[in-house]
Amino acid sequence: MNRIEEKLERLKKEQKKAFITYMAAGLPDMEGCAALIKAQEEAGTDILELGIPFSDPVADGPVIQEASYQSILKGTNLKKVFDLVEKVRSEGVNVPIVFMMYFNTIAAYGLAAFVSKCATAGIDGLIVPDLPYEEQGQLNKILDKIEDAPILIQLVSPVSKQRIPMLLQHARGFVYCVSSMGVTGQDAKFHKDILSYLEKVKSVSKIPVMMGFGIRTAKDIEPMKESIDGCIVGSYFCTLLAQNHYSVDVAKEYISLFKKEMNGVE
Amino acid sequence: MEGKGKQMNHSYYGEYGGQYISEALMNTLYELETAFQDAIKDPLFLQEYHYYLKEYVGRETPLYLAGRLSEEYGCKIYLKREDLNHTGAHKINNVIGQILLAKRMGKKKVIAETGAGQHGVATATGAALFNMECTVYMGTEDIERQHLNVMRMEMLGAKVVGVRSGSNTLKDATNEAIRTWARTAEDTFYIIGSAVGPHPYPKMVKEFQKIISVEAKRQFLEKEQRLPDVVMACVGGGSNSIGMFAEFIEDKEVELIGVEAAGMGVSSGKHAAAMAAGKPGILHGMKSYLLQDEDGNVKLAHSISAGLDYPGVGPEHAFLHDTKRVKYVSVTDQEAMEALSILCKMEGIIPAIESSHALAYAFKKAKSMKKNQAMIVCLSGRGDKDAATIESYFNGEGYLN
Repeated sequence: MNRIEEKLERLKKEQKKAFITYMAAGLPDMEGCAALIKAQEEAGTDILELGIPFSDPVADGPVIQEASYQSILKGTNLKKVFDLVEKVRSEGVNVPIVFMMYFNTIAAYGLAAFVSKCATAGIDGLIVPDLPYEEQGQLNKILDKIEDAPILIQLVSPVSKQRIPMLLQHARGFVYCVSSMGVTGQDAKFHKDILSYLEKVKSVSKIPVMMGFGIRTAKDIEPMKESIDGCIVGSYFCTLLAQNHYSVDVAKEYISLFKKEMNGVE
Repeated sequence: MEGKGKQMNHSYYGEYGGQYISEALMNTLYELETAFQDAIKDPLFLQEYHYYLKEYVGRETPLYLAGRLSEEYGCKIYLKREDLNHTGAHKINNVIGQILLAKRMGKKKVIAETGAGQHGVATATGAALFNMECTVYMGTEDIERQHLNVMRMEMLGAKVVGVRSGSNTLKDATNEAIRTWARTAEDTFYIIGSAVGPHPYPKMVKEFQKIISVEAKRQFLEKEQRLPDVVMACVGGGSNSIGMFAEFIEDKEVELIGVEAAGMGVSSGKHAAAMAAGKPGILHGMKSYLLQDEDGNVKLAHSISAGLDYPGVGPEHAFLHDTKRVKYVSVTDQEAMEALSILCKMEGIIPAIESSHALAYAFKKAKSMKKNQAMIVCLSGRGDKDAATIESYFNGEGYLN
């Protein structure tokens, strides 16, 4: 079974919400990044998103743009991130890992080669913000053919409206509900219709619903807690790491506190 | 139909094009396409579009037989004078079309990206004309080399936002415009100036720029009672060229040539020739030829001309390239600047550096043509905006890049 599905099933049984973190792969360097992955798993991150740097991250706000840029400057590329994941997997890391990346990075690597490599390296999911439902056919064909291929996570936006049933009909893993219009990291200024939108998704979805974009603390999601099964923190987590020299202790502390506040005392 | 997907093959030109854009914009694109298809079938919309082209833009533009050039290079050289449009380039044709569409869709705000500033000026002009709020995204590098256009946009009431990321040029301005669009699409219309972006933009830009070849073909037939042998235009994103080619694509006997910017030479790596040196990739909502490294990161384009300084190209051009209907060539900064100087001195026309790329190749091409043969070169814009770049180039100071 896919690690994402396995993890989310367990959380459901325990009646807990999932906590998902995003970090830019390759920061502060490959070694430091490996240490941070391990620390996050230890601190209880349920699913870990790794951002693969791209030169033109149009779905991202300033924080992740900068992280992406810094990572490219350090020489990070997809091949090196695969090496990193293989290394941490061989050292016992079992947290579900999702790549967040742009489609050109996949296309440049080669679709079939990419999917096969994901399967062997232990990548459980893919988030590709510039690959909307209508353009997923080619990649899906390959994902369907290869054993242990990652799940292509579906993104839903506050203005998806009548598209929601279509987006969710074959969705697996979890649904990524974007909390606001636009790009990542916009300070908890959620869309004006956030509640009705999340409820609509929740009512249609057979799989867990996660909310992302602009979340900083567990308090931010308090008003919509009933409609979601978990949340994703990206830009804020990246800023926190960058401001604290990528300290594993700061990462752990933040994750533990968030989880405690979200799920009650553990 | 709405949002059902799967019917998207019409968004492609062969394997190029598509809608590689965030989910948040998919409904927006669907609404846009519906409104666009509806509008271009509506006689009232077309009437209004043509009214503004005539009365405001000053169309039709002349198809001018450049006498001294023809004599010098040994074949008939006609110039399609898009430089004589209001605001100084072909960009306004498309802006009038898109802004009328924005108005029809009830939008009150427009945003645009700009490289040379011509599309920004055209958009600011259209926004003033139709009383809309206008924000233009422009790379800080381009703000420096096209200062005059920045001033013009501001005089016209637009807000110019400097974009400092990546190469600080058109590519980055487009990234920022797309980000803003994703955030504000509920009340904002994104006016794309090049034949790029997700479907239906390339189609829309072609529709609103094809007036160039509709006129040119009629004018040429009137003057010569036949079709031209060669039609050429410069290609950055590809808006003036797709407009210049549109009506001739079906006329197989007409040779079509697109001229990309070779910057300091294609072999130098410092160029903007996406089709000469790029390979298919995905950027700005479309699949097309793209200058990229082996990791799929987009390479910095280079051209002395801000309007051609773009690492990609419109998807229909990629298709016309693969199917060999259009021949794509490239000329260097130096060749373009020489051609610019020649046109100034021999015809009394100061062309934009962008258009000078087409001229440079026209002069080369003319050598292989016979005296009774004729070509049309799209003179897409005038060179006033380039005064500072031209001055520093000819003073041997190199240029700002």
